[in-house]
Amino acid sequence: MDKTVDKNPKVAEKVSPAETILKEPGILREPVAAPLVTYPIEVVIPKARQQTPAVGQRATRLDGRLHGLGQTGYIDDMTFPGMLYAKIRRAGVASARIKSIDTKEAEAMPGVMAVLTGKDVPNNSFGPSIKDQPVLAYERVFHAGDGVVAIAAVTEQIAAEACEKVKIEYELFTPVLDPLESLKLETPGVHAPSANIYQKKFIKKGDIEKGFAMSDHIVEGHFTTQMVEHVPLEPHATIAMWDANGRLTVYSTLGRITLGRADLASTLGIPISRVRIVATIVGGNFGGKNEITTEPVLALLSKKTGRPVKSVFTRPDEFIASTTRHPLIMDYKTGVTKDGRIQARKLRLVLDGGAYCSWSETTLSKACILSAGPYNIENLYAEAYVVYTNKTMTGAMRGFGAPQVCFAYESHMDDIATLLNMDPLDIRLINAFHEGSISPTGQKLQSVVVKESLLRAAERFGWNGKGSTAGGSKVLPKEITSGTTVRV
Amino acid sequence: MKKRGRGMACMWYPIGFTVAANPSSAVVKLDEDGTATLLTGTVETGQGSLTILAQIVAQELGISTDDVNVVSADTDSTPMDTGAIASRTTYVTGNAARLAAEKVKLMLFDVVAPLLNVKPNQLEAKDHRIVVKGFPQRNMHIGDAANHARTVTGEPPIGSASFNPATVALDPETGQGKPFGTYVYATQIAEVEVDDETGDVEVLRIVASHDCGTPINPMLVEGQVEGGISMGVGFALQEEILFNANGVQINPNLTNYIMPTSLDMPEVEVDIVDNYDPSGPFGAKGVGEPTLVPTAACILNAIYNAVGVRITSLPATAEKVFNAIQAKRNAEPKQITA
Repeated sequence: MDKTVDKNPKVAEKVSPAETILKEPGILREPVAAPLVTYPIEVVIPKARQQTPAVGQRATRLDGRLHGLGQTGYIDDMTFPGMLYAKIRRAGVASARIKSIDTKEAEAMPGVMAVLTGKDVPNNSFGPSIKDQPVLAYERVFHAGDGVVAIAAVTEQIAAEACEKVKIEYELFTPVLDPLESLKLETPGVHAPSANIYQKKFIKKGDIEKGFAMSDHIVEGHFTTQMVEHVPLEPHATIAMWDANGRLTVYSTLGRITLGRADLASTLGIPISRVRIVATIVGGNFGGKNEITTEPVLALLSKKTGRPVKSVFTRPDEFIASTTRHPLIMDYKTGVTKDGRIQARKLRLVLDGGAYCSWSETTLSKACILSAGPYNIENLYAEAYVVYTNKTMTGAMRGFGAPQVCFAYESHMDDIATLLNMDPLDIRLINAFHEGSISPTGQKLQSVVVKESLLRAAERFGWNGKGSTAGGSKVLPKEITSGTTVRV
Repeated sequence: MKKRGRGMACMWYPIGFTVAANPSSAVVKLDEDGTATLLTGTVETGQGSLTILAQIVAQELGISTDDVNVVSADTDSTPMDTGAIASRTTYVTGNAARLAAEKVKLMLFDVVAPLLNVKPNQLEAKDHRIVVKGFPQRNMHIGDAANHARTVTGEPPIGSASFNPATVALDPETGQGKPFGTYVYATQIAEVEVDDETGDVEVLRIVASHDCGTPINPMLVEGQVEGGISMGVGFALQEEILFNANGVQINPNLTNYIMPTSLDMPEVEVDIVDNYDPSGPFGAKGVGEPTLVPTAACILNAIYNAVGVRITSLPATAEKVFNAIQAKRNAEPKQITA
């Protein structure tokens, strides 16, 4: 949303949308359609696409030529006759009760065609495992990105302007922001009466105390990671429209249309067979487009107006109203013999689950299962918790908790190597899984090549022993490798 | 002074959902010129998965990648799919597509066997032809076979199939069970340069050795690894959503939320580890998410190797690294000059 346009007093005047367009041709974001360009149809097909056997070929992508010519149709390129644009007014406060919503002034604006609030949504909750997320906030706000009012208008600018004219009164509550605070029983529940710890996982293998007793050294580590966004090039975008038979078609950037259709039908209270979802080529997902976001809002605005309705997230929308990566707080304790064999590992993971569950359950499970690393550890105890906070919801993101725990277990591994004055490669090779290793959950592993990958990477890199150099690296003095470690 | 360091990290990562059923279905049709259509409910999200699926179908039918048209991502016309998530498309949707193509192939074998005077199990699909094993001169073009099936025996070649990874639920107390069908493994090694006067970290080079089972398309594996590493560099050094004391984001834009650009990308050397998983389509597993898993870990180990400070909270911003270097200097005994 262009702020300078938004505050233009001329737009705020009571003029019809058509006049606004005439007066300010440069400022309005007019419907965009892919330009009519013709290309020669005689396409040269690369050899790798024509060869058999097909597997193993460096075949170019089906969509590569379209991307290269700028011909790929994304949702923002699509337009339909009479199409409206939707904008959502977000709470901007992390925890509150909604005392009142006054939409009169917004509704009176020329060009505004429909206004929607939480009470208009037939089944106002959804979620992949726990249905704790409202389509639009109803009575309560759980994080600052919660949508409170949605508006459809003839232009995106009018919809945005109308959103600003909605008056919302809140009773503010103290937000729960720290996951470790949330973990404490005395902390008020974000979704009271539900507990803040909404999922737990445990892995127990062998005898942890016996393992520590057999160890020569005990090493501890504390690690934390931050919240990050997927930042796909194409933001969340949707167009919804109904036909005269009461059947809904939605064009969406969803990466999971089967689940999306079921969730959409459920929030609207209509049979799944009345919903068609078409996903275009998606401009990046990385886990952020695995559940519905604005689809029900647009479907309801389209139903109210009888016209197609489009919405494309702005970059700030993408940050505050879509899912993000779980921050983790990780405590590791490892018992190791003086020759570098891990005897026991105990660890705890606390995941900041944000305001809604989303894909937290599977993130928690994967983080917990993978948390000990690709190593043979006979005695293991892992516990993992995910807690609600009044922050942006965390959900699926490339790796589901694995990049966070890998940062912890591999930093910890180098700390152990430093303590024992061992090469980081050697300590990994001593402990790494082999074909038939038993995983922390007791699964016999097949096609295991972690040692091969270590050795191949080391060879390719030119990793030649402890304290040595690669590519002109500075040789580390012994006192640094085995000496003081500053923890931040 | 700029100091160089190197660090490694290895990892394991599962393919598909944790325990929960995550099936995919697929439909394959073969036309009378020997070209095929695959219907799949998965969505292309930029990773090239539809090309991978075309290659799998083509391999099973003995035709080329370009002979397979892929129709995807429309709930009215394509079958159920759990979607582009959990690095599962090549393994799960790929298995479904292969099984559907196999059904088409077996239908053709039944049609062709009497024409070539052999049993169906003596046939194979190879280089656009249905061939008698061991007697390559006895063959029929796959298009002629499809045409015969359609116009003579009245059985147009079409097959559908589903696949779901075999899992066993985890015990809630001990976590014991078989949560995933298979796993992949990888190692990344980074070389970094740390400016000990500013704390700025530059990642110079990353060698990435990844297992994905059989690489269906090595070029797309390389693309995934390079993309994953760029995401890992941002996670390691730059990206962070910040909140004010009231729980409101203060940097929800690309001016203040710093992403790596092409200028921040290290030299990436991709190495694909030879492997074959019998449960995957033609031995393939997957590679999407794992490519970013070890990146931050190896960069942080390289920072420690370069300047001797262990950063334990991501991201390792220049400010954080600088403060750690200062703290380490202050903690060291002062050298008294003579």
